[in-house]
Order: sequence, then C-alpha cells, then structure tokens
Amino acid sequence: MIVGGCDIGSTTGKAVVMIDGDIVSSHIIKSTTSPGKTARIAMDEAIKEAGLSTIDDLEKIIGTGYGRLQVPFAEENISEISCHAKGAHWMEPSIRTVVDIGGQDCKVISVSGKGTVNEFTMNDRCAAGTGKFFEAMARALDCGLGGLSSLDNQGKEPHAISNQCSVFAESEVVTLVNEGNDLKNIIAGINNSVAARLSSMVRRVGLVEDLALTGGCSKNDGLAKSLAEKLEVSVKRLPLDPQLAGAIGAAVLASEKLSK
Amino acid sequence: METKIQSEAFQTFIDVSGSLMNYEIQTWLDKGGKVAGHFCSTVPEEIIMAAGYMPFRMRGTGSTDTELADAYFSPINCSFPRHVMNQALKGEFKFLDALLCINACDHVRRIYDNWVRYAKDINETTFETVMSLPRKCGERQVDWYYDEINILRDQLAKHTGVEITDDKIREAIKLNNQARSVQKELYELRKADNPPITGAETLVAIVAGTAMPKERYIELMRQLIDDLKDAEGNTGYKARIMIVGGELDDPEYVNVIEDQGGLVVTDSNCFGSRLFWVNVDEEVKDPVRALARYYIYERPTCPRTYGSQPERMKFTRDLAKEFNVDGIIGERLLYCDSWLVEHYMTKFDLKEHNVGVPFLALDREYVLSGKGQIKTRVQAFLETMES
Repeated sequence: MIVGGCDIGSTTGKAVVMIDGDIVSSHIIKSTTSPGKTARIAMDEAIKEAGLSTIDDLEKIIGTGYGRLQVPFAEENISEISCHAKGAHWMEPSIRTVVDIGGQDCKVISVSGKGTVNEFTMNDRCAAGTGKFFEAMARALDCGLGGLSSLDNQGKEPHAISNQCSVFAESEVVTLVNEGNDLKNIIAGINNSVAARLSSMVRRVGLVEDLALTGGCSKNDGLAKSLAEKLEVSVKRLPLDPQLAGAIGAAVLASEKLSK
Repeated sequence: METKIQSEAFQTFIDVSGSLMNYEIQTWLDKGGKVAGHFCSTVPEEIIMAAGYMPFRMRGTGSTDTELADAYFSPINCSFPRHVMNQALKGEFKFLDALLCINACDHVRRIYDNWVRYAKDINETTFETVMSLPRKCGERQVDWYYDEINILRDQLAKHTGVEITDDKIREAIKLNNQARSVQKELYELRKADNPPITGAETLVAIVAGTAMPKERYIELMRQLIDDLKDAEGNTGYKARIMIVGGELDDPEYVNVIEDQGGLVVTDSNCFGSRLFWVNVDEEVKDPVRALARYYIYERPTCPRTYGSQPERMKFTRDLAKEFNVDGIIGERLLYCDSWLVEHYMTKFDLKEHNVGVPFLALDREYVLSGKGQIKTRVQAFLETMES
C-alpha cells in the first residue's frame, strides 16, 4: 500500500511517502505564497525520492496543516492536531503528550493509547511560543536559529524575559544586549520564556508521560532542555524528524482509512 | 446569507438582523413611532415598550473597523463596545430617540460615557441613561433593581409624557412572554434528529426579534415555524453542537462552525436561549416586582453575576441533555474576564457531572476574523468525537 501525507504549514511544507507501513521518503520546503504550489513541490520531491514516477502511484493522500484545504491532490483533509498526535504516536507508541511548536502557533495535545486526540489547547492570536518568536529573537541577537538552539549557548544565569508579546520581548532583548550582558544568558532566557509558556499549556491539558516535541521548533535543543527542566520530565526523542510528525500522521491516517 | 429555508418570514429576519437600520424600523418610524436602544439583555424591554418605544438591542452589525472608536477606549477593552461605538461615531444610530445603558460589564458600561460626550449629537438622541444592575442575585438585589426599574419608569414617563401605568407594563410583559414562547417553540424543532433549521439560521431569527416591533415579530415567527414544519431537515452533520457564551449576534461565526460539520442545535447565549427560556411571572400583583425578580434571578443569568454559576452550569447540562448534544463550544470575546473563568469552570463541571460531552473554548473578536484558526480548532474538536 502506497500512501502520502502532506502538511502545509505557515512556514514550511512537508510531504512524506509511506510504502507498506514504512516512511520511505520525505521532503521539507519553505512555504511559498501559494499553498497549492508548496504542496505540489514538496510532494513531487518526496515521490521522486521514493523512486516512484507519478503522484498516481499513491493510493491515497491526506492533507493537513493551515493550507490543508488547498492541497490539490489530497482526497481528504484532517486537522494538524489529529495528525501530529497520530504521527508522534506512530513513531513512538508510548507518547501521551505532544507539544507541537510550529511557525505561527503552538499546540499541546493529549494523546490516547490509540494515537487519537483526547484534548488539546492552542496559543491564541499571538506569536509567543512559536517559530515567529524565535525568528524575531534570532534577528535581535544576530545569531541565527542555530545559535538559539545550540546547547553550548545556554548560559548558566538566564535573564528573565518577561514580555509575552514578541515585539516587546524583542525590545527587551535589545535592551539586554545594549547593557552588555552575556549573550548566552540572554539566549537561555529566551528559551526559558517560551518553555514557561509551553509548560503552562501542558499543565492545563494535564501532563502524562511520555512527552514528545514536534514541529519545526522541536529542533531547538535549548528549548527542549528548558521545557524538560520545568516539567521535571525527560522529553522523548522521536526516531524520525519531529518536524515531519504532521505529514507522517496524515500518511498513517491515509493507510488506516484504506485498510478499513 | 445563504439559506435553504423557504419562508418569506425568514427573508425578513435576514434583512432585519443583517443591518442596524431596517425596513421594519422604518415602517415603525413612519407611523410616528420612536425607538430606544438598549444594551445587553438585562434592561427591561417591558418598561421601554410600556413607554411607547420600540426596543432595539444594541449591536455593531456591519462594522468593519474601530478606527474612530479606538480613540476613546483602552487596548484592553473588548471589541464589542468598540465596534458599536464606531458605528455610533459614523452616525449609524440616527433612528434612535433614546439610549439606555447598563453596567452589565465595565466594557459595555463605558459606552454611556463615550456616547454622551461624542456620539449623542451625531446620532441626535434626546435621552440617555445608565441603569445599575446588582452583581448578586438575592432578594436584596431584587429590591435594588426594583427601585432602578421604577427610576427608569419615571425618567421615561417624564421624557415622553406618557403615563406608564401598571396595566401598560402588564401588557408589555404579556407580549414579550408571547415572543419568548415562540422563540422556545422554534428551539423545540431543533431537538429533531434532522433539525429543519441550522444554528446560524436560528441566530438570525433571534437577533431579528431584538430589532423590530414585537407584534410583527411574533406574527413572523409563527409563520416561520409553520413553514419549517414541512421543511427538509439538516442531514449529514458530524456532531450536534451547543454554543455557550456571551454577546454573539453574528450568524457567520456560527456558519464557520457548521461548515466544519458541527450542527449547532442549541445554546446558552444572550442572543439565544437565556433570553427566553423562562417567562416573566404574569401572576405577580406588582408587575415591576415581577420584572425585578425575572431579570435578577428567575432567568438564567450572565457570568457577570456572583454566586449564580451552579445554576448556569445546570442550565447548560440540562440543555445539552434535552437537545442530545455531542459537544459544547464555549465562545468568548477576547478580554472578557467573566466568560474566561466561566469556560474554565464549565470544562471541569462537565467532567465532574459525568456529562460525557467534550468542551472546547474559543476566543473571538466581535467582527469575524481569523477564520483559519477557528476552523482548525473546530475540525480537531469534531475529530476527537469521531475517534
């Protein structure tokens, strides 16, 4: 059985191809201004990488993410909340809590033993705790996203970044830089501030282990470390790229639906 | 708005609810009638009617931005008063003769101050007042509100020259009770497995009732209910949804939920069931006393009121059961503290009482925006019910 999952997010488009229960290929691209175009490019690349010739080789494709309604070749769309839960759970069946940190929003999802959603919470109309926040901070510090993420850059005495508004937090960071503070302590403070916001969302849903991070920002090691400390748990590492969790979940759901 | 309801009465409701000024108001004005605007659902319409006015529940329909109003509100005021005020500053309420405000919440209460300073002359209102609604719902508060209603009665009598007799108030109570009863009758139709009317369409019919003369409204509601009796029901939905929340007068918002497959079959909203689920007691000797009791505690209250949360929760649970609801969506306007806490408690209340119905809290702005986020949340919420 050959199926596909296509996750069109605000910042990146992700596509995976699954053959007989294995993820055989994947592709991530920066989102274009057309969700349909993003989907097509990502999917075509994944198909090529899987050694398939055309999209018609796929028996079913499910679209997800903010652009899910605009994935031209998807027969069905499922919310990214259900897909991230399914994807993370498929990769690691012990997962019961998923923290998905994407480009423009973050979600905390309570996952059942079957990989379905028990409950979820999302940030509301605000960039705090999202990729956009990190992009703004990386710009203010001129350190790139990698600089924020690197464990070597997590200072021992983090500064408190108290503004939840990304724009005001950026001015706060600029002030700290201008005062000549150690950049590593500022970086640790930035990751702490996002981790604090995420940890309160996790508590609202109710923390059940194991916990995994998905979405593009899950690759921020500094953030993962801070969140683990705040929640006093270890963050479970997923065996595949956690940024693909939504697309993988879509593919898994496609194959489940075909098997029914 | 798109509808498959074949009913002339319903077409009138679409027109009446879709704008501020409407044909029914114009007809009333042409006959020499006057209109009094009022905020929220706790200003006693019966007194307004007994004074000879047509009551108009204030809303900001048609507003697209708050550019003019923002000068007079703080960034943490909710978007409802801003949009209403913006419409006022554009002179969209010239059909009003009077404006009755109330301290329902601090955001809404602020409109009074801004209206008398900046919007009164633009809209040429000749009478403005603000009522004081108690925050608790016991007998002492009934006494307080009894006095407030009598103060309003005296003020309106003086302003209009109309003698507001007990009999006139009784008549208005009777008429409003009839309106409430037909609204409840409409809701009864939604208990069906395939309700002949959607949640968005129902909201149209309820909002219309706050913007036209009551006699005419009752007549049209009866026609609509008659037209719906042979109508084809709504099929193919994924779940039966109840909406719980405050100021929601925009059918398009409900449409977004229903487009995802969640058919809205009932609500606990103040442009909804809380307005009419209970009637004013017509047997009480003093009609003002009957009104005071009604608005203070007989009717399901707003979360602005202290101590009334258990009754409100029971109301929600009862309705969820009566209408065979699969999921409850709690909507609130951003910056509304009362509903924020209420929704938080509702989630736990439903669990504690083993209602077995999931709950989703959604924040919104008064004018529909961020449709994508609403869709994602609602779709995911419906998916949790499927699995």
